[in-house]
Amino acid sequence: MNKDIDIKKLRLNCFRQSKEAGKFMLQMRVPGGFIDAKYLSIVQHIAQTYGDGNFHFGTRQTFDITGIPYENISEVNKYIEKYIKEVETCICDVNMNTIAGEEVYWEPQSGYPTIGARNITACIGNYHCICGNINTFELARKIESIIFPSHYHIKINISGCPNDCNKAHMCDFGIIGVAKMEYHPERCIACGACAKACEKGATRVLSLNENLGRIEKDECCCVGCGECVRACPTSAWTRKETPFYRVIIGGRTGRQTPRAGKMFLNWATEDVILNTLKNWQKFSAYVMDNKPEYLHGGHLIDRAGYKKFKEIILDGVKLNPECLVAENIFWQETEYRSNFNVKRP
Amino acid sequence: MGYKFNFAETDSLFCNILEKYDVYAPKRFPKQGRYSDTDITRYSQIKSINEIEFNQKTDYSAKEVLTPVNETLFYFTENEFKESSAPKKPILLFARPCDINAIEIQSKIYEENGEFSDIYYSRIKNNLKFVLMDCNGGDDTCFCTSMGSNVTDNWSIAIKQLENDYLLSIKDPEFEPYFQNCEKVDFLPNFVEQNKVSLTIKEIPNKEVLNELKHHHFWSEYDKRCISCGACTICCPTCTCFTTKDIIYSENQKVGERKRIFASCQIEGFDTMAGQKEIRNKASERMRYKILHKFHDYKERFKTKHMCVGCGRCIHRCPEAISIISTIDKMNDAIDEIINKNIQE
Amino acid sequence: MTEQNKNHMIPTACKIISIIKETDIEWTFRVESNFKAKHGQFMQLSVPKIGEAPISISEIGDNYMDFTLRAVGKVTNDIFEKQVGDYLFLRGPYGNGWPSEELKGKHLVFITGGTGLAPVRSLLNEFYDNIDRVKSITLISGFKNKESILFKEELKKWKDKFKTFYTLDNDSIEGWNCGLVTNFVKEIDFNSFDNNYAVVVVGPPVMMKFTGLELKKYNVPDENIWMSFERKMSCAIGKCGHCRIDETYVCLDGPIFPYTKAKNLVD
Repeated sequence: MNKDIDIKKLRLNCFRQSKEAGKFMLQMRVPGGFIDAKYLSIVQHIAQTYGDGNFHFGTRQTFDITGIPYENISEVNKYIEKYIKEVETCICDVNMNTIAGEEVYWEPQSGYPTIGARNITACIGNYHCICGNINTFELARKIESIIFPSHYHIKINISGCPNDCNKAHMCDFGIIGVAKMEYHPERCIACGACAKACEKGATRVLSLNENLGRIEKDECCCVGCGECVRACPTSAWTRKETPFYRVIIGGRTGRQTPRAGKMFLNWATEDVILNTLKNWQKFSAYVMDNKPEYLHGGHLIDRAGYKKFKEIILDGVKLNPECLVAENIFWQETEYRSNFNVKRP
Repeated sequence: MGYKFNFAETDSLFCNILEKYDVYAPKRFPKQGRYSDTDITRYSQIKSINEIEFNQKTDYSAKEVLTPVNETLFYFTENEFKESSAPKKPILLFARPCDINAIEIQSKIYEENGEFSDIYYSRIKNNLKFVLMDCNGGDDTCFCTSMGSNVTDNWSIAIKQLENDYLLSIKDPEFEPYFQNCEKVDFLPNFVEQNKVSLTIKEIPNKEVLNELKHHHFWSEYDKRCISCGACTICCPTCTCFTTKDIIYSENQKVGERKRIFASCQIEGFDTMAGQKEIRNKASERMRYKILHKFHDYKERFKTKHMCVGCGRCIHRCPEAISIISTIDKMNDAIDEIINKNIQE
Repeated sequence: MTEQNKNHMIPTACKIISIIKETDIEWTFRVESNFKAKHGQFMQLSVPKIGEAPISISEIGDNYMDFTLRAVGKVTNDIFEKQVGDYLFLRGPYGNGWPSEELKGKHLVFITGGTGLAPVRSLLNEFYDNIDRVKSITLISGFKNKESILFKEELKKWKDKFKTFYTLDNDSIEGWNCGLVTNFVKEIDFNSFDNNYAVVVVGPPVMMKFTGLELKKYNVPDENIWMSFERKMSCAIGKCGHCRIDETYVCLDGPIFPYTKAKNLVD
């Protein structure tokens, strides 16, 4: 194998270098990890026609097709035009002729214009799951058009409920679907099923007041999971009609300083989430002086400091009255080198 | 003789009735279901006929109108008691045949069991008239025809909702004057003749078989499956069990109230006396207690039909997907097995 | 007052006349009452703010009633805080009571375990005062230990006219046997009763079950045996469902059952 290949350019095109020279893996975006099963035949076709016949579930819920020789890449890009248009333009309403909001012509047969904002992952959410508080992939699709295409990196994980199966705590901007609960004492039989469920599966915020024959709640510590609603045999607990979201920022894996994210917003509405993310490009541009680097969001927050991050990311965002915002964030990192933070000034 | 009028006309036609009666009917409560983005339908007082949910079986039964989940019996101050007041207006209750039959079954317990009638029940029931809602045959959990509760003539008005109109049939002359100016059509209520599912119930011939059946191994399945939440009995239109509970408004006051609250034989503690062990302390025993009440004990006591009306709500509401229909199938097999064994011996 | 009579859930305030501390945890409360009750019936006894519980009547007088309570729950614990002159709240009486007429003219055997003596106490006292109404009375009464003996004075008094076997499960004091009540069933010469007798059994469920089985060993016919049941109740008038066993409501059809029925009452 003796070829002159611009590896970095191909990575931007969503083809990842393999240990075998000249072979690449295509990563196809699936916003929210949910898509019509008909597209599986496209995946199969690419794998069997252009790749090595195999397929991997990408860790960020992309369709990953391995073993694509360099010379097949332009053919593959032509073939996925339809997929990109249907998924990005039709389903997610993405304007492909932009990069980070700036108008940039996209050649439809050239494949993905950027790998920057990573595929938004999601658990199955309330489309299926009995625990889910939100429709995760619908939210992912709304966010896709805000953050993509852009060379600024951001990893967004969406979980349908505070159980956080999709690890919102381990990405730059994690979103967790939460519910505000409503208690209807006139329907309560004081069986205590909710209190038991909360004790077993959540934060023990419910208790039975024997004098009143009612449930009392420590509103402050409620995580909004909805276990009480699920456990209640009489519908004395119900979710409020509007869904809410918790945002966890700055989580990451990595070789140097992996860490779980911390709560940035709680009880935010969808509008707040979308408007906050609309400031992401601005924030990234500010930190990196308009020069996109391969640096994820958590590191950008570190560079700018949380206060600056908060200032820019919430700029012009009208918070709903229930929404709580972190005053400060105290990170807890796993430092593989204990003197990592000690640097020459 | 019947009447026909369109949706727009209903409010003016019913305004005098709504003035005279408290009208209760199935109503949809958006997003108040057990799982997120699901609704519940239950009985509620309505101010317009157009609020009524005509197309779906309610999650909770019409019994809540006669016996609310929580009902104040009396208020107390030191040594004096004041009976809670009865509803000021008579009640007009929109219900399908299964629910109307269920109320007659409940009234055997509330009004005919023992020498005393339940005054809280009677004071409502004696002032209540039914509007028979046309039933479309229900869903795949309905088996009213198997229980003989698909038909009733206990109604004052019968109503059927069409795409843009309502059809009305009037049996109680009191209501004739309200509709005199409406278009006259031929309309009499139809009754469901066949459900999607059916059920046959084996008779339990004697006490020996009954007591052997209680110890049959098939019940033990429910120790693993049933979570004893009581949802099946709360939604059941024929369950009447309640527990009394004294409420005090504040620790040092001498005033308070005694109320009764729905109780469930499925929930732990239903039969527990102070200082003693629970008698039926396994899910299987509680399940057996409920099933035999519905399909043997009630009939044995009142020498009438079985208690269950086949509305299927218990199946619909069970979070563990336990179907009373298959429970009865299994019970039938167990009865056969016991009878055959006894013959052989 | 007429309003209250109509509403069977509303209790009447009754003044406590005396409190006798039978044991540390079992006290007899005598209250003023005009309720007409039969032996073996029960009342719904309540303390507003706390709740209500069915309690068997342990003695009936012209204008009083006794309740012998054990402090085991919310309601009874609170009643133990009461003093003479305070009020208890009653409604009732409920249940069928002992079949007094049927018991008359017979040899009677009473077998009681612990507080099971309370529901038969008034009946025993009536027969004590009118011993000519029965052929004979045998009383087998058991308690756990010497600290749990109830109605000490009456137990002593009854010895005059009744044939008595008093026993403690696992304790020995002078004048008392040691062992379970079932051990003394063999002491009864049922044959001498000429099939004109009845056996009354009251006590904890296990005690009643094994006494029933023991009686069968001596061929005591089912229809000669009577038992009193205790179940959780919220209404005592056949509505709340707590006390139901099969088609039987303990509050309405009981609490006293002939063994022919009782033996089939499987919870």
